[in-house]
Amino acid sequence: MNAPFLAQRRSLSRRQFLRGTGIALSLPLLDSMTPAFASVSRASTAGNPGVPRRFFGICNNLGLLPESFFPKQAGRDYALSPYLEVLKEHREDFTVFSGVSHPDVDGGHPADNCFLTAAPHPGSGGFRNTISLDQYIAERLGPLTRFPSLNLGVNVQQGLRSLSWTGSGVLIPCEEKASDVFRRLFLQGTPEETERQIRRLELGRSILDSVAGQTRQLQRRVGSQDRERLDQYFTSVRELEKRMQMSREWENRPKPTVSAPVPLDPASPKEYMEKVRLMYDMARMAFETDSTRSVALLLDSVNSPVIDLEGTQLDDAYHNLSHHGRSEKKLAQLQAIDEWHMKLLAHLFTELKAVREDGVPLLDRTMILYGSNLGNANTHVTTNLPTLFAGGGFRHGQHLAFDTERNYPLPNLFVSMLQRLGIESDRFASSTGSMRGLELA
Amino acid sequence: MIRNTRRLLLVLTAGIALAGSRAAAAPKAIQAFLERHCLECHDADTHKGGLDLATLDFRPAVSTNRARWTAVYDRVEQGEMPPKKKARPAGPELSTFTNLLGGALLSAERSEIAREGRSVQRRMNRYEYEQALRDLLHAPWLQLRDHLPEDGVAHRFNKVGQALDVSHVQMARYLSAAEEALRQVIAGAAGEPETRVVRYRTRDEGSYTGPMKFSVFNTAPERATFPVLGFEGQPAVRAGTAPITVGEAQAELRDLEGVGVAAGSYEPLEPKFQGFQAPMPGRYKLRFHGYSIWVGPGPTNRWFIPDLDTLSRGRRSEPITVYSETPPHLLRRLGDFDVTPEPAVHELDVWLLAGETIRVDPSRLFRSRPGAGRWKNPLAEKDGQPGVVFRWLEVEGPIRGEDSAAGIRLLFGDLPIQRGGPQGSSIEVVSRQPREDANRLLRAFLKATYRRPDAEREARRFLPVVESALKSGSPFAEALLAGYTAILCSPEFLCIRERPGRLDGPALATRLSFFLWNSVPDAELREVAEKGRLLKPEGLRTQTDRLLDHPNSRRFVEAFLDYWLDLRRIQTTAPDATLYSDYYLDDLLADSALEEPRAFFAELVRENLPASNLVDSDFVWINERLARHYNLPAFEGIDLRHVPLPPGSVRGGLMTQAAILKVTANGTTTSPVLRGSWIMDRIVGRPPPPPPPSIPAVEPDIRGAATIRQQLDKHRSQESCAACHRKIDPAGFALESFDVMGGFRERYRALGPGTPEPGVGMGGQRFEFHPALPVDCTGELPDGRPFRDIRELKALLLEDEPQIARNLVRQLAVYATGSPIRLGDRAEVERLLVRTQADRHGVRSLIHGLVQSRLFQNK
Repeated sequence: MNAPFLAQRRSLSRRQFLRGTGIALSLPLLDSMTPAFASVSRASTAGNPGVPRRFFGICNNLGLLPESFFPKQAGRDYALSPYLEVLKEHREDFTVFSGVSHPDVDGGHPADNCFLTAAPHPGSGGFRNTISLDQYIAERLGPLTRFPSLNLGVNVQQGLRSLSWTGSGVLIPCEEKASDVFRRLFLQGTPEETERQIRRLELGRSILDSVAGQTRQLQRRVGSQDRERLDQYFTSVRELEKRMQMSREWENRPKPTVSAPVPLDPASPKEYMEKVRLMYDMARMAFETDSTRSVALLLDSVNSPVIDLEGTQLDDAYHNLSHHGRSEKKLAQLQAIDEWHMKLLAHLFTELKAVREDGVPLLDRTMILYGSNLGNANTHVTTNLPTLFAGGGFRHGQHLAFDTERNYPLPNLFVSMLQRLGIESDRFASSTGSMRGLELA
Repeated sequence: MIRNTRRLLLVLTAGIALAGSRAAAAPKAIQAFLERHCLECHDADTHKGGLDLATLDFRPAVSTNRARWTAVYDRVEQGEMPPKKKARPAGPELSTFTNLLGGALLSAERSEIAREGRSVQRRMNRYEYEQALRDLLHAPWLQLRDHLPEDGVAHRFNKVGQALDVSHVQMARYLSAAEEALRQVIAGAAGEPETRVVRYRTRDEGSYTGPMKFSVFNTAPERATFPVLGFEGQPAVRAGTAPITVGEAQAELRDLEGVGVAAGSYEPLEPKFQGFQAPMPGRYKLRFHGYSIWVGPGPTNRWFIPDLDTLSRGRRSEPITVYSETPPHLLRRLGDFDVTPEPAVHELDVWLLAGETIRVDPSRLFRSRPGAGRWKNPLAEKDGQPGVVFRWLEVEGPIRGEDSAAGIRLLFGDLPIQRGGPQGSSIEVVSRQPREDANRLLRAFLKATYRRPDAEREARRFLPVVESALKSGSPFAEALLAGYTAILCSPEFLCIRERPGRLDGPALATRLSFFLWNSVPDAELREVAEKGRLLKPEGLRTQTDRLLDHPNSRRFVEAFLDYWLDLRRIQTTAPDATLYSDYYLDDLLADSALEEPRAFFAELVRENLPASNLVDSDFVWINERLARHYNLPAFEGIDLRHVPLPPGSVRGGLMTQAAILKVTANGTTTSPVLRGSWIMDRIVGRPPPPPPPSIPAVEPDIRGAATIRQQLDKHRSQESCAACHRKIDPAGFALESFDVMGGFRERYRALGPGTPEPGVGMGGQRFEFHPALPVDCTGELPDGRPFRDIRELKALLLEDEPQIARNLVRQLAVYATGSPIRLGDRAEVERLLVRTQADRHGVRSLIHGLVQSRLFQNK
């Protein structure tokens, strides 16, 4: 009942908002589909406790007006800033950070490509990106779900921008159409596609089988220290085989079905907010069906035109507005945009709380990082990034304020997230430890 | 006395109790010595320095335990322990103890080596993997290193088996890297076979001509490009009232058209030759037509803003850095040259990947960054500023050589290949007898990739992979690739396998090749090895010289220095944008700094110069940027060259090179502790003990209120701290004369209240730092010899030249053999040092000596 409605109406009103919530899932809520798989997935990842945990990273590459975003006081009793006021009902479910940034990630706009990688100096000669957090997670938790990760985007300058990067620094393109994401998540592929994928995985397994065979033979002929190294080699070959087997099982397993029809994609980049909302829906539905544990979403505001905004008439492109030069008029329009961002976020939080998994609100098992590569789009600075961190079962409800002159490394939060996901890790990019002041609930 | 007796009893009881099952107690004579001279401090109660000898097991057969006892042995043997304040043991007592302990340790070590070898089997690291696949597949352009996770490090190097782990992530990456490499080789052989020569004019390039026009996003002339005809500006073209080019009709005039910039290639002004995209991986010749120019000044009060219509001949040459770019922003440095005021063509011979475009960066020119104020070009003078013009890029390629044919021949032998797809972008291999062909080709591939005789026999293991792929419907070439992928992921390929004892010919060839070329042995080395000639000293020496003299030895220099001197980390932090805005965004300085130690070390190897040059030399390897950085006589040119130092210079040797001073600092502050300990460990070869766990690092203060030295003095005034810091800090004190990028300083810098230093950074923003407290670079070595500055420190260190050489051998030994120098290896190292005395331990002689030694020739 929702989707046609979403498709026809372009802008979002308060009323639609309410009606748009809670797309019911006809079949497998996670509860109904886990038992069959639990034995394989949960048991087989060492160090990963049974509870499924997820990561959702969102970067708005024009950021938020700092003066309206950051609270004035630090700690638990901070007064909500104008923007956080929009998120009031979720106050205990998020932490707001100030005085954080990625060390040495500068260069203005190109820094969005480093939002999840923290690779230094994206604007300089000889730059090469490094693995992004979502892909790092996907490499480790990937086989537990049908999709190792989803990489989404809104109005993305394709081929030039992405949050998601491979270990060799290659850009992973963003999915721009919600309908495509929906189809991948919930509609069965053609038998040929399935067949091709199975063939590939089978081939991979036969390759590994031959490698394992040779390793086993070599193990017999060496001293104990050398054998230890070969044992490790053998174990990792077998572990990879097991993972391929798990991926293969996904191919024969029917995809979860949901009652919602395929969303209709907004036709114009002007419908920016609607596109954002649809992508939030896709991420939520992917988590709800445990189709993936890792989602990245780039809101390429820089590349967005004069956008449609319910309740406010904008007369300049989003990027131009961000260079407000303290013009009252531009600031007011920018503020209206930012507040919509907060509303959509509040909506996402509400929905993730409404869904329960093993009796726990899904939000408590989903870590949402919302932020930007720019601390202040007006001056292109890449320090003092506006950073909001929600869900995941942390003890939230506080403003962790760090030094705005000498920022605290944001990659430390990435380390905390990895640890929360059950991934043994004490380092990511330029991290110096895990996030100071962040505790489990 | 009573206390001591009781403890002795305890020790003895423990010894008896454990003697049977764990044999964990030391021989009685050793125990007696410990009791008399050590336990007072090193017992369970006091355990000074974290050492509790009363309960430390004595199990020399266990290597970790042996390492601890070796440390005990060393301290006593070198006279450090018992400490000066305590009674010295009598001579015979001491020698009995050291002989006994040393003997026990040595015999345990020998039996372990006999059983296991000195080093543990290891896999290739990612440097070696990339190079091996390039060499084997005849594809020098392959970029594979970053496909693999970073390698573990032990004893400072990525060559030690114990640290080179394999995880399932690693294995998955091997799988995809091998497949990627194989497909690239095929791509390099597909497509149009003939070489083309095409000229790409800047006037036809959108990213060159687009920024000529101002837009809402850019109204700054510094962020614009401009049309140039010869040495004249073209206001009409810039205004859009004349066409962007006169076109083919006026070919002669068109040949004078170019596009200029007065800024470097940096966001948002990033002109590039996008008309060219390498159609396939391979070798290309790039010819750039360019020259330097002088751009007129703006109106009187805005003289620093360029007038893009008023141009004249350049006043000097301009260094140009050339990158290849894979969209969006994956840059690879390809090379560099200088454009001169006289228009000229500059050629680079490069390897490109499919899809790469070319970007040129006039690397001396400024990069405009927004900030507190409007940016201002630091190179601007009252009458104008420098610029660079490019007319065109001519690409010749892909140049098909023996290489691309050899790569494809290795994969598909002489089977007929049919090109298909658009422009022949895909190939199909025709096989009438797939099984027989696959078997034959797998055998040939194994022979080439496995570094041992009889490798072909492994084909039976991989044939089923190809067969099952064929059965499930894969085309022949695809099925074969699956088999090759398996081979490239197999331990026989990825692991360097050696048997305990003396290495046989092929194993020695492998070790030598991984040492000096970071790759698998080439055909000649394999042949020499198979004929047994490598096992003879002259044969081995000839091959060592051949490998060192070959351009491939650059791989050794780079990889060795990357780890020995941490050069791989040079980009980890960058000079702070505010405190060091004079270095900020200076890619030319960063690149040159990285190249300097490589060029320097390569000369030591090439010319067999004494190892003492590592501490001090009468020459440096620099280009114009480094000459300016080091305050040496100025010259023009981006190429590094051998430059003699004026007498009394602070430069010379490794320690005072920008790269070393950079990797031992962060972007903001220097620390004598970190630098001192680094120098002691890497250059002097007397690594200080690790810091106690509970002591935090000194927090640097950049407000200028106190120097790091003053802060540190508080710490050093405590005797418990001073004991170690006396050994750690001295070199660091001398190096306080150098800032985070290696610039010489007599005062520290600070931010905050104060009069900023006049000047503008490369980002175009005014300096905000001001001079603060003076630097104190004096100190004294642990033995009490004082020095006033870095020059005197170098002189003191050079009084023990053999120690500098000894340290280099230790570092080389880990790199070459994957195992540190052990107790039993020391005598061999000393012999090596004696043998190389004649040429004052020439670096090349040391390498030869190591290769000829037992350490290198045994597992």
